[in-house]
Amino acid sequence: MKACVLMSLLALTLGGCASQVISIRTVPDQTPAADNAAAAANAAAFASAVAAESAETSAAEAHAPDAPPLLTPEDAPPMYTYDPWERLNRFTYRFNARFDAAIFLPAANTYRRAPRPIRAGIHNFFGNLAEIDSVINYTLQWRLKYGLRSLERLAINSTVGIGGLIDVATKLKLPGAPTGFATTLAKWGMHPGPYLVIPLLGPSTLRDGVGFLADYGTEYGINVAGLYRGDVSWGLGTVNAIDQRANINFRYYSGGSPFEYETIRFLYVRRRLIEDEGLRPKEPVKPATDAPAGK
Amino acid sequence: MAPLPAKVPLAEINIELPWRQPVPQILWFNSKLRVWLSAQDKPAPLAVVISGTGSDGNTKTMSVLRAALYGAGYHVLTLPSPTFPGFIVSASSTGVAGDLEQDGHDLYSAMQVIIARLPRKVRITDIDVLGYSLGGANAAIVKSIDATEGKLKIHRALMINPPVSLFSSVGRLDRLFTAAIGPGDRGVELLYRRLYAQIANLYRASDRLELDENFLLTAGAATLKTDAEFSAAIALAFRLELVDMFFIGDLYAKTGVITDPQHPPRVRDSLEDVQRELRARPFADYFTGVFAPYYLKRRPDATSASLIAANRLDIIADTLRADGDYYAQTSSNDLILNKRELAWLEDTLGSRIVVYDHGGHLGEVGDRQQVADMLDMLAGHWPRSTQ
Repeated sequence: MKACVLMSLLALTLGGCASQVISIRTVPDQTPAADNAAAAANAAAFASAVAAESAETSAAEAHAPDAPPLLTPEDAPPMYTYDPWERLNRFTYRFNARFDAAIFLPAANTYRRAPRPIRAGIHNFFGNLAEIDSVINYTLQWRLKYGLRSLERLAINSTVGIGGLIDVATKLKLPGAPTGFATTLAKWGMHPGPYLVIPLLGPSTLRDGVGFLADYGTEYGINVAGLYRGDVSWGLGTVNAIDQRANINFRYYSGGSPFEYETIRFLYVRRRLIEDEGLRPKEPVKPATDAPAGK
Repeated sequence: MAPLPAKVPLAEINIELPWRQPVPQILWFNSKLRVWLSAQDKPAPLAVVISGTGSDGNTKTMSVLRAALYGAGYHVLTLPSPTFPGFIVSASSTGVAGDLEQDGHDLYSAMQVIIARLPRKVRITDIDVLGYSLGGANAAIVKSIDATEGKLKIHRALMINPPVSLFSSVGRLDRLFTAAIGPGDRGVELLYRRLYAQIANLYRASDRLELDENFLLTAGAATLKTDAEFSAAIALAFRLELVDMFFIGDLYAKTGVITDPQHPPRVRDSLEDVQRELRARPFADYFTGVFAPYYLKRRPDATSASLIAANRLDIIADTLRADGDYYAQTSSNDLILNKRELAWLEDTLGSRIVVYDHGGHLGEVGDRQQVADMLDMLAGHWPRSTQ
């Protein structure tokens, strides 16, 4: 049964959308007045954040003797990205784009019509389950302060937050900061490795892909409340995926650019490399080599 | 900011147009034209809005215009620029974008098909057309085509921060690129390295656990401190749009500047080197390598000079002067206009242009005064009687 559904989804995706001459689809309303108010609030926060960051930079520029050495432009990785599996990756990227347009995004758009409190409940529920993996990985990363915070969040939200449906912990000034095996591997010095586009999931690297599998394995192994095995796991997994998609503001090829594969690869790997910089013990930086980024 | 409605309904329309060229394999995702409609539930005039260079019909600027127009009682249909890759592939009859007249005809044809196929409950009483930046010039041309062909009976046209000469505006942006970034791709690499190091340092110094969008924007803004660095960012954004147009034009025109016409690139092929090479090339290279060869072959009487002249708004100067239904809004410090061009606009349109003394290119859009003027112009209440 599952196999049938999967196969037909696959066929639909590979075949592309049915060729209609015109399609008209309502999308969620725009809310300009509210957006404007939010933008004004953001702008204020932004301005103060910029001021704060500039102050930080100038402090950093003053360079206290015990401060970590600063990266210079020469330390930046080259613009090329290590992508030995590019051919396969490009086909996977196209598959993902088609799957997203035909199935994933429409499902997410339908989901977005559900009342906000319900969506927030679902989002919080899955976020709470993920805290278990975060506690484990913060411990493995030896960042016990954050591990403890995740543990507190898990305890508070699972009880006072009614099984994780309400994020009480954030209101108690314990904001969420999920982590996973990918970050643990990075913390212990593993390089991102080759760029990898994972079917259905999207841009990744070999390291991050392994991390994802390990996260899944952990959840499967612990199998909290029996949610990760058997028929219930299919339904929950689907809802989780749709909830995550609905919270990602990205649409394949919305810019129409022939170079989108290159652009996304560039941005994804640079973002991960900068996140790695944040994990490094604050010791002298190694000079960059000419090898492509990620190698 | 002008007051905006709480809610604007939005529908996405994807449409296949019969006159488009065969779609190259690597551009499979652009086979349908995508436009956006916000419909009133009562009979109302339709405002068709055309986007700026290289952009689709759903940009931030577009959202502001859409909200203002919808709030004032218009159905709003927003279209991409004819230089947007999605438009070039799905709606251009040539694949070589940037010719005002050709692009105008493609836009006009697309508008006819879309409007004819709108759901019946969208009852249209009148049609106005407007656009910002290059879209402003496109809007005026579309109205002038309609004046001859009469298929849509477009009432008024409004240009918001339009260029007067396409090529001189682009030339200014290219000079900005050379001045702010440097010639070739080396400058882009240096800019990237500087940004990377700055953001990485800020991120290391902060206690954040994740590099999210807000942090990136904040860090980016903190890095682009000077006017020169901001100019560099604008010039680079524009150049990246040109890269798409250049690549697609070369592919369609089979001019062989960057792609081999016998062996066009396929889905599996890396385009990184192509992108790098095109990033280093100014608009002039697009003109001499793709645009001119393509159009000279099809227009036996044309010369390079005549092609450039044909891309000036003054090809419809007489109409702009004589027909009271053309309007414009611009700023005296708009970077895509020089003094002579601004004077020409003022002289040609007379009282039907408003020139703000600040705002630069598109900085006024959404401002209370700009919105009020725009609505009065479209409603024909302009120039306002002095009271």
